[in-house]
Amino acid sequence: MVQTEAYVILSAVLFVLGVMGVLLKRNAILVYMSVELMLNAANLALVAFARQWNQMDGQMFVFFVMTVAAAEVAIGLALIVAIFRTKRSTNIDQLHQMEG
Amino acid sequence: MTMDVALFITVGVVAVAAAVMMLLSENAVHSALFLIINFMGVAFLYLMLDAPFLTMIQIAVYAGAIMVLFLFVIMLLGAEKLGEPTRQFRWLAPVSLALALAFLVITSIAIIQGRIDLQGPATQPPALRVVNALTDAGAVDVYLNGERVAPALPFGEATEYTVLPAAAVVAVDGAEADTGREYTLTINAAGTDTALMTSPLVLASRTDRQINAYTVVAHGTSSAPQASLVSDNLETTDNRAGRLTLFNAFERPVDLWNFRSETNPDDDVAVTTDLAPGSGVELAAIPENTDLRAWAFTEAGNKEAVLFRLNNPEVYRIRRDEAQLLVFAGEHIADGTEQGSIRPVALPVASRAAADFGGPHGAGELLFTRYMLPVQLLAVLLLVAMIGAIVLTHKETFQPRRRDVRRRVAQPLTTAISAQVGQDVLQPGEETPRLPPQEDEQPQPVGD
Repeated sequence: MVQTEAYVILSAVLFVLGVMGVLLKRNAILVYMSVELMLNAANLALVAFARQWNQMDGQMFVFFVMTVAAAEVAIGLALIVAIFRTKRSTNIDQLHQMEG
Repeated sequence: MTMDVALFITVGVVAVAAAVMMLLSENAVHSALFLIINFMGVAFLYLMLDAPFLTMIQIAVYAGAIMVLFLFVIMLLGAEKLGEPTRQFRWLAPVSLALALAFLVITSIAIIQGRIDLQGPATQPPALRVVNALTDAGAVDVYLNGERVAPALPFGEATEYTVLPAAAVVAVDGAEADTGREYTLTINAAGTDTALMTSPLVLASRTDRQINAYTVVAHGTSSAPQASLVSDNLETTDNRAGRLTLFNAFERPVDLWNFRSETNPDDDVAVTTDLAPGSGVELAAIPENTDLRAWAFTEAGNKEAVLFRLNNPEVYRIRRDEAQLLVFAGEHIADGTEQGSIRPVALPVASRAAADFGGPHGAGELLFTRYMLPVQLLAVLLLVAMIGAIVLTHKETFQPRRRDVRRRVAQPLTTAISAQVGQDVLQPGEETPRLPPQEDEQPQPVGD
């Protein structure tokens, strides 16, 4: 059986990759994808600990996180579409001024 | 290196490589496809972590629905070519890289130093129930550690499971082990203080099973009572099957035969033979609704001497996901003689199998009981998100009203010019020139 530590370290690596994507990517859609990557990394740690403690509650939290992620993606992409209408761009450097 | 470690390393490398490629690729569509590979890898890791339900959800919702949404928006906006033209914050890249690596190092040290695995998984304290199979004692009171758990338990009945206080966990050679704890079971004749029997039990907490359940079968006569401990297996079986455990609380050894054919004795199958008094045996999983009418307990070694036939399909029946304990006991019948007679009878004691860990059965049970309110809130949240997405992308919301456009167009040109130039462009008394009125004048939408 693979140790829980291995799963948690893998989840930390994926999380850091997601953080770098959020910080370095200029395309708003890719920033969203990186956020999904971070959520997935957190989910992996939750499932690993659920098995470690033999409690299914951790897996239920993952279920809830997935549902919230689905809602967040729907709203986020709708925002990107709305902004793209006025700005003709998804580059977040061009969107950093909070003007309409 | 064992198989699962090799699988973990392979899948982990694939997932990390897919994440890196997602960050490095120039085309947003390629990024989305690499992210799908990453999600698939994580789904496989869920499968290795005993979470088959989440695996399916991950593939269907994440790799399926959410990524389709991403790809759809990328193609809709035509934003697949990234190109990184103007980077306004040049210092951001090295700083964020350094911060992320520092975060990774610190968390890795914390995870390794934290010694997660050595703290051991959660232990399950033992749960105990008592079956009254005492031949001639009638109803009894059952006490566990001096506390009464069942008043006046009749013959053939079982108490509910009582979860016992967890056994003390002591450290042995650095690793923590459970040495078990002694509990005291006392059985009195109903309503009296005279103990028929007092029996010490040593039960340990366990980590390998979700439910750590035991049954004590009290059998024998009231002058020589005995308590036998049976470990209950409440794990679910494979599809559409139930578990059957036999226990012999009768005074003599017995056989259990399956008389499959009424005409041909060679077809008869011995389910179990020579089951000694006070011993039990767990049978292999039996498909649900198996006909037990042909089954019968007989004297050991003599299948002609039938003691009891299981010919009541309402009572003796294999149900799905049920763990049944069949106690074969003798019941004392007062028939007028001084001794009375002993009638053999099979007592079914049923219990539901535990929901499977990580499977849809267990997940559904939790979602509909402990997490009912959060599920309702999630439903509301999803509804709000749905409405929000419609409101945000609805085109009419961002169009100016028709009236505002007309007012701006109707402003005289001379007024605008004089505001720009800073002086009047019309001589005093001159009439304002006007454009000839146009047919079907369409206001131009602004700001799109």
